[in-house]
Amino acid sequence: MPWLTCNSRRIHYELSGPEDGPVCVLLNGLTQYIKLWMPFRDGLVARGFRVASYDMLGQGQSDKPRLFIEQDDQVEVLRDLIAALGPGPVFVGGISFGGVIALRYAIEYPDTIAGLVPMSSFAEVPPQLMRLGTAMRTALILGGTTYLQDLLFPMNFSNAWLEAKADIIGLATYRGWLINDVYALQNLMESFLSFEPLTPKLSSIRAPTMIMTGEFDFLTPRPLQDSLRTHIPDSALVIIPRAYHAFTLERAELAAYVMARFAEDVMAGRFQGKKTIWIAPEEVGGELTPFPAGFDHLRSIPVRLPTPETPETSEPAQQREAASS
Amino acid sequence: MNALLGPIDDDGRIPPTQQTRIAAFLMSAHGAQARQLVTTMPMRLRQPWHIELHAQYCREMEILSLIMHSTSWVPDPQLPFLLWQWETTWMPRPMQGAGDHFHGLLVDMAALGHAIHAGIRPAALLPEGVAPFDPFVLAMRRIEFESGRLLQAQILFLKGPQLVEVRNEVADAVERRHDQVRELWTSMLKGLNVVAE
Repeated sequence: MPWLTCNSRRIHYELSGPEDGPVCVLLNGLTQYIKLWMPFRDGLVARGFRVASYDMLGQGQSDKPRLFIEQDDQVEVLRDLIAALGPGPVFVGGISFGGVIALRYAIEYPDTIAGLVPMSSFAEVPPQLMRLGTAMRTALILGGTTYLQDLLFPMNFSNAWLEAKADIIGLATYRGWLINDVYALQNLMESFLSFEPLTPKLSSIRAPTMIMTGEFDFLTPRPLQDSLRTHIPDSALVIIPRAYHAFTLERAELAAYVMARFAEDVMAGRFQGKKTIWIAPEEVGGELTPFPAGFDHLRSIPVRLPTPETPETSEPAQQREAASS
Repeated sequence: MNALLGPIDDDGRIPPTQQTRIAAFLMSAHGAQARQLVTTMPMRLRQPWHIELHAQYCREMEILSLIMHSTSWVPDPQLPFLLWQWETTWMPRPMQGAGDHFHGLLVDMAALGHAIHAGIRPAALLPEGVAPFDPFVLAMRRIEFESGRLLQAQILFLKGPQLVEVRNEVADAVERRHDQVRELWTSMLKGLNVVAE
């Protein structure tokens, strides 16, 4: 297993796929580790990509700084890893916490990547997310890693997945408990205590960007992803149907397919973000469809957007007027 | 060499020789913490952090009692030498640059506590098939769980505003204590044919 040394810290990473293929670097979320990328990674490898997955600093088998860890340290690790991978197009995809680091990297080193894929990610910490994060940190402190994982399972997965996988959740929890350390997870969480919103800097991201979000993600809900879309110049938002926060696990093959399609489009010069909104297909091989025009993609119920010319005479307003008369 | 403790017996229990060595190590480490806490604590508790020290001391004593009463002790001829080695390592080494000797001692105590509570994970060594309600197994799980909570006081202190100016020195002190604890812990386990990753 290869190791990368960055600022005297050891980072555990794995390379898969053809050596001459375009590279996808994958950044994990909190409590995750390399092995959990396997189905996602295999989906990319099957389409000819070389995949670099790694345990982020403080997680898995990589070094775990005892007391202090900054998000800039994570960016430096990613920088060194990408440099070690050599020339050729590099696509960076990160989920949740990993997505935040991917965004930071794309802001700081805009010309070193061919494409960016933030998944279930965010550039700011509004009150709901701050309170959820605080609750998760408290859960970790008072109840340990297992309690935190118990809290995360229903946020990460659908009822269908939780029912179908009921027999392996215990083992998955045990493995997560074994490979994670309380202090290391806590350090990662506390790296958000001094978090400054990235939103004002998103406009400096020059790489084509595909933002992926789960339809039912309530940990990092769609407005957070939409904020990325509206601020990153060459971006598109893709909604993964029926998915929750951790769709790289629950819908790994589909998510990998969508990312591969994006990378192929970028390399072929076909990708045109234009801040558009798309719905991913239900299955691998399907087509992405544009979000229906005229409807608000941030609502769960089909609310028509006000038309720019006559916002006060929109259909819902007319219906309300008719009802009241 | 194995990655986990064992082999377990027919009743799913850890061999008493392994129990004894691990229990002795944990008693030595947590006993050192308890001693340092009691010598740092004033007779009358007047400050909020005195209350925290008292709580820490009580929890360390609980851990010591738990180990004492849950372990299947057997004679271990190597223990006198090992105990001497362990105890000399736990001796206070005040951090330089903390302002005065007392604060240097506090930082070292917290650094050692951080290393013991964060770096030692006895429950992670329990093999599959171990008896879930065996007293030693329960004790190891309880100690690891409580260590995660005890760790909070050390984290709060070591990351606290009063030490911001000497952050690098604090980080070095914590790293040093972690290295020491890890070296002794892995060496002790190696003596039991266990390689801790």
